Amino acid sequence: MTKLVEIEIPEDLLRRACAGDVAAQAAVYTATAPAAFALIRRLIANRAMAEDLFQDTMMTMFQCLPEFRGEAPFGAWLRQIAVSKCLMYLRSPWHRARLHLESNDDAEGTYGSSTLVTPAPVAECFDVTKALASLPPTARVVVWLYEVEGYTHGEIAGFFGRSVSFSKSQLARAHLRLREWFEPSRGEETCTSIQSNGRT
Amino acid sequence: MYIDPEQRQNIARRLRSLPQETRQPYDWIEFRRRARERANASSRRGVNGKKYATLAAALVVAVMGVAAWIRLTRPDMSLSAQSDATSGSGAVVIGPPDTVEARAEVAERWLASLPDEPIVVRVGTRATIAGLEDRIAQLDDFLSMARAEGAQPAKLTAIEEQRTRLVNSLVQVRYAETLVSASR
Repeated sequence: MTKLVEIEIPEDLLRRACAGDVAAQAAVYTATAPAAFALIRRLIANRAMAEDLFQDTMMTMFQCLPEFRGEAPFGAWLRQIAVSKCLMYLRSPWHRARLHLESNDDAEGTYGSSTLVTPAPVAECFDVTKALASLPPTARVVVWLYEVEGYTHGEIAGFFGRSVSFSKSQLARAHLRLREWFEPSRGEETCTSIQSNGRT
Repeated sequence: MYIDPEQRQNIARRLRSLPQETRQPYDWIEFRRRARERANASSRRGVNGKKYATLAAALVVAVMGVAAWIRLTRPDMSLSAQSDATSGSGAVVIGPPDTVEARAEVAERWLASLPDEPIVVRVGTRATIAGLEDRIAQLDDFLSMARAEGAQPAKLTAIEEQRTRLVNSLVQVRYAETLVSASR
């Protein structure tokens, strides 16, 4: 499987797609759609919204195709479009109100929030996808962009219009939550110690 | 919030192990259909938007037009009365000024603008005018004496009103005289 950033499209195909060749456009769509949608799904938990943003991204790709200069891989250029669309959505006033409520939950330290299912016991396999989806939207975006897509804290802070400290704190928060998923034995140990305390 | 670097790398590794591709939500044909739908929807919004903007602009212009028409056609007596009195246009202004003195002043200003003698002297009219002017002069003397003696304001007002009636009568006679002169 190819990461979106690594996808290359032949120049000839791009030229024909720019010229309006429908077959060439279909080929470009087929080559990039799976990776683009996968990235958007990682950043946006809501599937319906992810599909909308995917449509936006692909339409913008075709509209701006003549502007692609080939200085970077085509996939990197498309990734930038996809990330921008997702972040614009997350920064929208409507969504910002939701984020505010979720950040308040974080501030209260409630990691038994409605988005976080009770961690499975040690013996079961952990679903990384579910763990990622359980994160608050901002933390999810930050951890994915930093750990997987390779963006720096400065770039991520720039996307959100915030400081580098904001990006670092969101990353730390995401790691903390993911650790609770991946290492639930810590939780069990805590319960055991309480029980043992109770017994003694 | 300290996290062990090894745990951090472990988490990062797990994230990177997730699939980088996933089945796209729909194929090329469906994508094109949705793109056309969005284009049609946005052009409809654009047309409707222009329509509503045009309608709103027309309403604003209509309201402003009505307001301007009402303002222009509204009779403004004091304004026209003042402009006529100051220009000496020949229109007889009796009434609009609020006070008795103001009315008399306006009438006398108009009288002063007339020539001393008309082109054609009618004996009857001249006698009427002379009688009115004598009576007005007598009231002027009364008023001067009453003010010097400190008469009550009500008495002064009564004399002034009588003087104003005489002046108005004089104005009407002189106006009739000028009309006759003008008609020749």
